Order: sequence, then structure tokens, then C-alpha cells
Amino acid sequence: MIEIRGHARGGQGMVTAFEMLAKIFSYRYNFEVQAFPFFGVERTGAPIQAYLRISSAPIQVRSYIYQPNMVIVFDEGLMENSALIDGLTTDGTLIINSDKSPQSFKGKASRIVTVPATRISVERKLGSISLPIVNAAMVGAVLRVLDADVHEAAEIIKLEVPIKPEANVEAAITAFNNINEFVDTLFRLQQSNGSAAKASKPDSPVPFWDKPMSVNKTGSWRVVAPKYETREAPCTYNCPAGTDVRRFVDLAAKGKFEEAHELIYEHNPFPAICGRVCPHFCQQSCNRIYLDGNVNIGAIERFIGDFKKGRKKSPVPISKNEKIAVVGSGPAGLTAALRLRNLGYPVTVYEAMPKAGGMMRSGIPRFRLPEDVLDDEIKQIEEQGVTIITGKKVTVAELEDHYSAIITAVGSHIGMGLNLGSQSGISDGIEFLRDVNINKKTGQLNRGDILAVIGGGNTAVDVARTALRFGAVPTIYYRRTKQEMPAIAHEVEEAIKEGVKLEFLSAPVAVEPGNHGMLKMIIQKMELGEPDESGRRRPVPVPGSEEFISVHKVIAAIGQSSDHSVFSGSPVKARQGLMEFDEPVYKTPVFCAGDMAWGGTVVEAIGSGNDVAKETHAFLNGKTWEKEESTLPITSYDEINTAWFMPAPSHATPMKIPANLLDNFDEVAGNLSRDTVMEEAKRCLHCGECFNCGNCLNFCPDAAIYIDEENRLRVNYDYCKGCGVCVRECPSSAIHYSDLI
Amino acid sequence: MPESSTTEQSLTEDQVLPNNHTKKVMKGNIAAAVAAKLCRVSLVTAYPITPQTSIIEEITSMIDRGEFDATSVNMESEHSVFAALKGASLVGERVFTATSGQGLLYAHEVLHAIAHMRLPIVACNVGRPSFPWNIWADQTDSISQRDTGWIQFYCESSQEVLDTIIQSYKLAEKLQLPVMVVLDAFYLSHTSENVYLPDQSLADTFLPPAVRENNRVDTEQPRSFGGLVGPNMYDEYNRLYWEDINKVEKATNTIGREFSEIFGRTYGAVEAVNIHNNTKKILVTMATITTTARQVIDDYPDTGLLKIRLFKPFPKKSILEAMKPAGDGCTIITIDRNFTGDTEGALMQEMKRALFGKSVKISGVYAGLGGRDVSAGTIEKIINLDVNSPLTDEVTWIK
Amino acid sequence: MEPAKEFIIQKESIYSGALSCRGCGWTLLARYVSHVMGPNTVYVVPACCFSIIAGPSPMNLMKGTVVHTLFAAAAATATGVRHALDRQGKKDTWVVVLAGDGGTFDIGLQALSGAAARQENIIYICNNNAAYMNTGVQSSTGTPAGAKTATDPSGKKLPAKNLMGIIEAHHLPYYATASPAFLDDLILKLEKAKNSEGFRFLMIDGPCPPGHKHDPELSIELARLAVECNYFPLFESENGKLKITCLPPKKKPVSDYLKPQGRFIHLFNGTYANGIEEIQKQVDDNWQRLLKMEEITSSL
Repeated sequence: MIEIRGHARGGQGMVTAFEMLAKIFSYRYNFEVQAFPFFGVERTGAPIQAYLRISSAPIQVRSYIYQPNMVIVFDEGLMENSALIDGLTTDGTLIINSDKSPQSFKGKASRIVTVPATRISVERKLGSISLPIVNAAMVGAVLRVLDADVHEAAEIIKLEVPIKPEANVEAAITAFNNINEFVDTLFRLQQSNGSAAKASKPDSPVPFWDKPMSVNKTGSWRVVAPKYETREAPCTYNCPAGTDVRRFVDLAAKGKFEEAHELIYEHNPFPAICGRVCPHFCQQSCNRIYLDGNVNIGAIERFIGDFKKGRKKSPVPISKNEKIAVVGSGPAGLTAALRLRNLGYPVTVYEAMPKAGGMMRSGIPRFRLPEDVLDDEIKQIEEQGVTIITGKKVTVAELEDHYSAIITAVGSHIGMGLNLGSQSGISDGIEFLRDVNINKKTGQLNRGDILAVIGGGNTAVDVARTALRFGAVPTIYYRRTKQEMPAIAHEVEEAIKEGVKLEFLSAPVAVEPGNHGMLKMIIQKMELGEPDESGRRRPVPVPGSEEFISVHKVIAAIGQSSDHSVFSGSPVKARQGLMEFDEPVYKTPVFCAGDMAWGGTVVEAIGSGNDVAKETHAFLNGKTWEKEESTLPITSYDEINTAWFMPAPSHATPMKIPANLLDNFDEVAGNLSRDTVMEEAKRCLHCGECFNCGNCLNFCPDAAIYIDEENRLRVNYDYCKGCGVCVRECPSSAIHYSDLI
Repeated sequence: MPESSTTEQSLTEDQVLPNNHTKKVMKGNIAAAVAAKLCRVSLVTAYPITPQTSIIEEITSMIDRGEFDATSVNMESEHSVFAALKGASLVGERVFTATSGQGLLYAHEVLHAIAHMRLPIVACNVGRPSFPWNIWADQTDSISQRDTGWIQFYCESSQEVLDTIIQSYKLAEKLQLPVMVVLDAFYLSHTSENVYLPDQSLADTFLPPAVRENNRVDTEQPRSFGGLVGPNMYDEYNRLYWEDINKVEKATNTIGREFSEIFGRTYGAVEAVNIHNNTKKILVTMATITTTARQVIDDYPDTGLLKIRLFKPFPKKSILEAMKPAGDGCTIITIDRNFTGDTEGALMQEMKRALFGKSVKISGVYAGLGGRDVSAGTIEKIINLDVNSPLTDEVTWIK
Repeated sequence: MEPAKEFIIQKESIYSGALSCRGCGWTLLARYVSHVMGPNTVYVVPACCFSIIAGPSPMNLMKGTVVHTLFAAAAATATGVRHALDRQGKKDTWVVVLAGDGGTFDIGLQALSGAAARQENIIYICNNNAAYMNTGVQSSTGTPAGAKTATDPSGKKLPAKNLMGIIEAHHLPYYATASPAFLDDLILKLEKAKNSEGFRFLMIDGPCPPGHKHDPELSIELARLAVECNYFPLFESENGKLKITCLPPKKKPVSDYLKPQGRFIHLFNGTYANGIEEIQKQVDDNWQRLLKMEEITSSL
């Protein structure tokens, strides 16, 4: 007679497995059989036992099995219980559901067999991830160990399993063919004879008791473990400056604007500016957009930036000998200068224009970015010890003798011309804006002028809106559609509201002199074809669709390039960080940042400035620096439990479009109130981060969440059964299952 | 003197009224109600059933008149009656109820629970049978509860009902076991007779307030009562129960003696009448049939009478002790007013068990089921049964 | 991170280690009941899953007193406990029944009705997981139409008994339904029950992953959907005035609730095409009834 004892968790199907084995050995091999469970108060996941006797002679015993010839363990986690192999005969076999080799259980039995039943079952979707049903696979393994034929058993398995008969048979066959065996010939069991549990004595004849339930460590029931794990939020992940958006929004929600400002400042010294002009990649990627509108992060940032307006900053003492020159006082140059100055380096910034600010000053109209806001944040940088010399156009060659490192960040201030042959009558958008912003001129526009602006980016929109303020009648011609416009979407909407006309799928093919001093522009109509390398659909001319229009002026705003005179006219390939030159070879390391290297927005320039400062600092210390990219998964909207977020429409930035635009350069966008900013910040979904909402603790059916010494919510693995309610009810996807197998 | 040879001194008109007693004519049911009051029971739950009703009516009236300081709750079934007592007793109160026939059968499940929760509850049962409908004297209802773990006393008179209830609380609280006091329907429940009603002070001297120190609900000491118990532990609880149930017979006799010191009336587990070295036959009786038998055997000097008062646990030692004077060759005739579906009645079965290995002949009769009258003539018929005739079965059904 | 007020339970009133299945509603309910009731409480538990979950010998899940009793007898035993405590002057000790739907709708109904009619000073809480789960998922009269159980293998034909209607007929000072997905509401109702006198009744929706056949992590989500689909409406009645305590902002179709559960999956495979419509109608009718009840009782 073979006596078999099985150990499993309630719900894994062991009792059914033993039933199947009994039937297989009775019907197919004509043995006497006896299969029965320890009839306990079985709960799914709780450890249970079952017994099986197979005999050629009638079975004359009906007790539990104390000296089994075989112990079958359906869940490797149960191996922690040493009583599992109690009484196993010295020549007995131990079968364990495990991916491990049988040798890793050496010392437990003389013959050890492992079978990856969980993997086999999960692959065939038997049971759930939190409780795979492994019975068919285990039956396969046992049949193999007992030298039976798994194919003979197939029909019985099919009849015994409640669902998925084919998958179960497959699992049994796979397990049958995939056992790993190890025979330990030297093994002698240390077990003494018999292992009948000692009967404990009641304390009183009256059946009552009071031991805490916590002596029952239900953690051993767990198959998968929930784990707190902070992941990336799309907002933070998508900020080119590296700003911890999720955290500053949280601080704003709590009214901690001072702290929020400090936090932003760590990555971005221009929160008031960026709050106004940044395209807010954070906001664009905000998961709440799929619920009821993205969080107006721009307005929050703007409020935080303005919160610190006019406050004085002070410099850190200079502690380094290496002098650093920065060429260009745009966002990249100033950011790099500030970071290095704060590390103790003496830093001088050279600016060709009469005032610092770069493109922030020359390229962005005042109605988007008021001068006092710009001045204030630049002043704060100066107060921290950065020297800015304006009105001085320099070259690397001029500086190299005086500095230990030179950072070039001259931006992209040269407009690209339309490729139409004759440029007559066509002026450049970026030059027009510079003329207006720096020289306070009107760019030769007269009231009533019909203006064609070519392009779809921010420059085109800014040109058109500025032109309106001079009394001109601008129309933007763009060769793709509104959807593909690179300009900030809300800026486009504002432009339309102000009176800018937009003509899409229209590309100028020629500009010729026309009647009455006007220009004749030929427009080719386009249609969208296959996507190009930027992922946008390529505009394709529609044959025979040319139109003629008469305009007073054409301004092209189709892109910008850099002025390379800083390198004394040498053709260079500007790239982020340390530059390499064929000719001349400078004595001093030269770095590059800002629009010259990559990007095209203020925030990208800031990110570039941060990076170049770090690289320069590393270089000066004889080290190399490489940008660290986050490897954490980015939290998607699907992972957010939206049941926990009440509908709360976004608070839009207030817009004050003046009734009479003429010569009115007042800021169009307004501020949200402190309370509204806090309300808006509270809309944050906290993607991928615990925000202490307490759902996990509140909903844990097993009271297995606690607050640790550091006041963090944590799982008590002594008791967590791995039900996953915390994973599911976490609003922000900050709890995840650890790997299953 | 061996305790089993104590015999009850029946009161007669000639005897002087015992100290601190009042003579009253009352029905057995009223005696039961008054006993509950004397025992200072604090909670009574009940559900009406004939012929128990006058017990609970008397109790509620006494409470209503302010004579009895107790809470009475009108439950919706006997199951609930006993389930409520289970809860109340667990909190530590001295509780009481009375029922009958179907009511007791309906509460069967709860009786087990009460016994195994070791709750010192005392309940009266006015014996009547089950189906078809019958409301008259019969002990099948309580006999059916033999295996529930309750102690059972069968009473002969209203006086005995009153006295037994008082003693039962003492016994129940001493051993933490429930006690059922059984009285025959109508022959006792509705028969008015003389009862010497003890003063409250006597009852108070005999029966101090219920003290259930550790083994009760106390929210200061949170515990779980009666939840799931594993096989080994369950076995242990039963063993402990068994140890205590084995103490019941001796404790009954001890408490009976203590009772006599205060009340002047003595009770034991059994009572032997006219059992001596010339006794040839012994009638074994329970409850009211005993009284008639007492009278009949006056005319039969070689016939003795053994009254079984404590039926459960069956008082084997006391029986053997009481029968000692009668020599070998004596015939035992048991009278069973119960039918449990077997050849012998319950009393006969138990007597066979008690006398296993003794050289006595045991015969038995069924008599008086469903209230069929057991007259003196019936008793004589039983005495005169030719138990040695080959024509007579071991067990006879007496009409 | 600072301890937030959002953590409802700062100090657990039960022990961990409960013998409940993964994602069980019973233990979660026990956490909140004991949190609100406090230690001076006697819990009376008839046969149900909680008989086991509350702790077999020698363990006690509750940091309070538990009196286990017979299946049919919860309200009766609680009656005895209540009166005995009152006799001892312990009027401030609460007596709380924790029963399943079988012990409430079926075998325990007589005792429940008796105690309710007597206005016993008891709080009766029914964790309604809508079948005999402790014995392996057999139908009770609380089992809803369509649900597959071990004794209704093709799905139960008739709808669940309207137990709250029976409760209503007892003129109770307070009764309510509540859901583990709406903890604030649950706590409020427990507190109202605690602070009322007489017989109070609470019926709590009881998630049961093995019985309802769903992933344990869905326990709370399904309880939430039950409310949002009006399948398990949340309401309360104070002194005869019925009030719906949760008006789902956007009513969801009942199939949202049914579909993730294995016990209803046969309703979606075509052969039971009308099943969902019938259930939807039952749910809608019941909701209309509730709205009317609210309207009628408001003027009483």
C-alpha cells in the first residue's frame, strides 16, 4: 500500500486532484483506493491537507496518514512549515510544486521531485494569478512518479475538472514530461517514529478562550505580494527641466507655496516665466485629461512663481577658483550660470543684446510675458551672484584665456527664409518680434495692412497677434492642419479669439509684386499624406489648386537657426554638452546648451542649462557626467482608480482679451486666486505615488497595513494574504504586485 | 449509615409544621413557579405550551405584582427560549424556564449547546408526549433528551418539585451543568395538594447568590465563548464534562442531606421502600406512579419499591446500595411511562446497565403512556405478573 | 508623511490573522464594527462564516467578547445576553449580532422577528453575501435571481427575499443598508445604530470572492458597483422615515456589476439573453419603490 499525504492551500484543487488520482488508479489500474481530505474549515488560501491510499489488497484503515510514503506539496510557500514532512518514510518521496531544482530541497527526503506546476497552470490560465489552480499539473507529476500513464488518465481528468478540460489535460501532460528528480542515497531521515499532535488541554471546562488571533500568521497563505512602489508620473517624466511636478502640485494643494517654489527652483529658476510661456508638457501629458480635463499645472506654476516675486535672494560665497564664462543670457545660459554659481564658481554671462533674457526677451511678446516678470526672475539670478554683462557680443576665442570653462548658449535667433527664390517683400518673423520687443518698433507695419504670416509655430502666432496690436490684418498660412500646429494650443485659440485668421493646408509657392504696391502671393493647397519622420502627416500638394491672394506684407516664421559667430564663424555642429572642434582647438573646454543644442522652448533650454552645468562641474573635477534616465514605469491613466476622484472640472486660466487691441500690450492671461490654485492642485491624481489617502489601510480586509516608524504606509507581510484589494483600491497606482514567479 | 439507605420521611397531616414553613395547597406547576422565586431567579424566558402554562403565568403574575424581582421575556419559540437562557446564563445570571412535550423536543438542539457550554440552567419540564396530539402524562419528551448532557430529576409530589428545583440550582452551580426537573402532566402539574412552603430566609441560607466567577461574559476580559474547537480539544472538553457528570450522583446525595439540615426534608438520588432480606420483587418507578406504588406494596410485604429520582446520570451506586438488603434471586420490575422505539423502556434499559453482572432477573412493563391511568389495580397487576412463566415476555405492555 | 485623518482606523480593534478567504467582506466589516462599537461590546454570532473567522479555539479575532450560538438563535441568544447585562446594571454594554444571510433571511428569521418585535435593545448586523458560503455556496433566500450556486447550478430563478421590507414591518427605530465600499456611510450608520435604542438592524453587502467567483482584488470595486448600479441601494430609516443615503450620480447598467462575477457569467453567454433585462427590471422596480417609500415616509 502506498500512503500519500498532500499539503496545499484551500482553492488550489488538491482535494479534486486526490479524487482524480483515486479514480485513475481504481478505474485504469484496478487498485483499491481511498482519498479524503482533512475536513477542516477550509478558506481559500489557508493551508489544508488531504490523504490518498492506493493498495492492491483491501484497505483496512480509516485514520489519517502519519507515516506517508509520499508527501506532495502543492505550494512551495508551505515548505516553510517543517511539520510538512513529519513521518515521511526514509525511502519516501517528496514532490514539490516549484520552479527550483530538487537539489535545493536537499535534506528533506531521500527522493525529491520538483515540478513547475504553477508556471504550467498560469500559462494555461488555470485559476487566477493570486491563486493558480495547479491540480491537473500535480496529478501529471504524481502519475509520472508512480510510473502510471498520463494519457490513460486524460478522460478522467477531463471529467473531474469543472472547466477548461483540454487545458487541464495539457497541464497534466506537460507536468508529466517536466519533472526534475533527485535521489539522495545518503539521506537518512532524522524523524522519530510517529508525529501525532499532542493534545493541548483546555484551561477550563467551559469552552472559552482569549488568545489573540494574531498568532495565526496568514501571510503564509499569500501567493502574490502587494508592494508600495513609487512610479513615474507623466507630468514629472515629461518635464524637460526635470521639475518634480507631482510634488510641487501636491505642495500647492496644501498651500505650501514657499516650499513649492523652492522645489521648482531646484530645476527651474523661472517659474513665473514658465508659468506663462511654457507649453507645459506636464499638463499635456496629465492623466486627468481622460477624466475631466488636465490639471492646469501652468496656472499653478505661475501662481507659485509670482508668489516669490520681488523677494530678495542672496549669493553663496565663491569657493572655487575656476572662472566660468557663459555666452548668452537666455534661459539655458542663465540656468547654467546660476547652477554653477551656486556650486561656488565665479560666473560671468555675456549678452549681445542690451538686456538679458535671450529669446524670453526678444522672441516672446509682452502680452504673453510682461517685462517686470522677466526682469524679476533675472534679477533674482543676479542677486545670487551671477554677473551679467550686456551689450557685449563675444567669441570663444576672446574668452578662452580668461576662463576655465566656456558655455555657449546663444540660442536660435536667425530666421529661416522661405524657399521661394525671390525673398523680396518677405520679412522674418523672429526679427520682427525682436524689433518690436527690444527696439519697441512696429516692424514697418501700418494700420490696415493685410499681412500673411507663414508658419504654424509659436513665432507665427506671436507675430500675428503682435501685428493685430499694430492695426494690421494678419492671416496665418500653414501647410498642415490645426492639429499638427506646433504652437501652444491655447495660444492658437487666443489668437483666433483676438481676430487672427488661419488658413490651413496652404503653402506659399511664390511671392511676386502686385498692383498698388501690394504683393501677389500664390498659395498651393495641400492635403495630408503619409506621416513623416516627426510622426506628423506630410503635406502633399493638390495639383491645380493654386490660388492668388494680395497682401501688403509677408512674414515668414518657419524656423530659426543659430548665429555661429561665437565660434568666429567656424562651422560647428552644436550639441548638448562638451563640444569637439576640428579647427580651431580651444585651450579651454567649450560646452553648448540651449536652443543651439536641442529644444526650442524655454523649459527645454532650462533643462539643457541644468545638464550643462552638471557636466561642466563634473569636467572641472576630472569626472564625466551622464544624464540619468528614469527606468521606472510611467503611470498610465488605466492604472488610476478613478472611482476615488470626484468629478471636478478644471479651473481655466482667466483670459482678458482687450476690446481694443490697438497698441495694447497688457498681459492677456490672468492669475488664478490662491484658493482656486489650491483647488486646482487638489485635482491631481498623484499618478504613481502614495499621497497618504489611506485607502489601502482602510480597505485591507486583514488589518495587514500599518504605518511604519517613518510614518509610511506599509504591508504587514506576516498577515497579508495577497488579496490585492489595496492594489485595486489605490487611487494613484502606488501599490503593485511583486513578480508572480 | 450509607447514604443510599436514607429514605424520605413523607410528611403526613399528623406531623408538626416544620420551622419557618407555611402550609399551602398548591399545584405542582405553582410549586415550580414559587421555587423559581425562592431561588431568586433573575431571568425567565418562556413560550406557552399545555400543560406548562400555569408555571409561566404564575411567574409573570408574581413579577407583575412586584413579589418577584425578575425579568420575564416572552419568546417566540422554545428554541429561542433556551437560546436566550444560554446567552443570559453565560453573562452570569440565574435563569429559569419551563416547557413541555413538543416544546422540549423543539429546543433539543439548544439543550446540547447549553450542556456543553457548561451552563447551570434549571428548567422544568411538564412531561407529555409528541404525536399524534396528546397532552397527558408521559415521559418520552424528557427521556428523549437523555443524551443532551442535562441532569434529570423526576418528581413525585408538588413538594418534591419545589424542593428539587431549589437543590437543582445548588447542584447546577456547583458542577456547572444544567438540570431538568420533570413533573408529570396533570397528575402533578395540575393537582392541588399540600405543600410546606419554606420562608425565603431558608432558601437564601441554602442557596447563596449565583457566583459564576471566571466562566462568564465579562467585557473587561474579552473572550470568545463556544467557537470552533478542533477534534483533539473537543475530545478533551468532553472528557472534562465526563469527569464532572460522574460527580453528580454523590453531589445529589450530599446536597440532599444539606437540604434536610435546613428544611427538614431529605432527598437522595434514589429512595428505597420496603427493601429487606425477604424482598422477592422490587418495583422500579419514577415520578407520580411511585406514590400509587407506595400504597399498593403495603399489601405485599415481599415487594419493595425503588424510586429513581435522579435519572440522568443514572445513579448506579445508589441503586446497588439500596438493593443490597434484598438477596440474590430478587426480581426487578421496571415501570416505563415512555416509549423510545425499543423493546425495553428507558428505565429498564438503564436498570439493566446498572445491574450488569448481578444475579437478578429484570422484567419490565410499559404503563401509562400518553396519560393512560396507572391505578392501584394496574400496579397490582404488575406485581402479580408471573415473570417466571414461559408465557410471559420479558417486557409486558400493561393496559 | 504625516498620519492623515483619512486613516479611519488609527488603532485596530481586531487582531490580524483572520481565517477569512482573500478579499472577504466579513473581516473588513468586523474591523469597522469593532472600531465603532468599542471594547464594551458583546458580539453574538450564529453559525456563519464569521463563526470560523472570529477565531477557533484558542484564538479570538475580536478585541471584544464573542458569544457563539446556534444557527437559528442569534437574536434569541442576544436577547438573553441583553437582559442579563441589564440585570447587572450594564446598560452601557452593547450587544451586537453578527450574522450571515442564511441565519438572518432563513433559519434565524423567527428569532430575528421575535427580538425585533419586542424591541430588544440589540444591534443586529447581517453580512449579506447572498448564499450559504460557510457550507460551500448553497442558495439562501437572500441569493439573487440569476446567481449560480451549488444548489442552483443553472442559476436561481426567483429574486431574493425583500428582507428589508420585513424589517420595515417591525417599526424599528433605526435600520439601514450599508456597503464596505462606502466606509464613511457605513461608519455613520454604525454610529447611528450605536446611539439609538431598541432593535436596530443593518444589512451590509458582503463581498465573497470564492462564493461570487471573482478575483479577490475586486471585492471593494464590486461592492461599489453594486451601489452605483442601484443593485444594492444604500438607505436608512430613522423612526419610520426612509432616506436614500447614496444617489449614484450616474446610474450604471446592472451588467457592469454582474459581468465580473463568475456566478452570473452564464447570463452573458447568449442562452440567458433575457436574464440581464429581467434583473435590470427588478433593480429598477426596487429603486422606484425606494424612491416612493422615501417620498411617502418623509411626510409621516
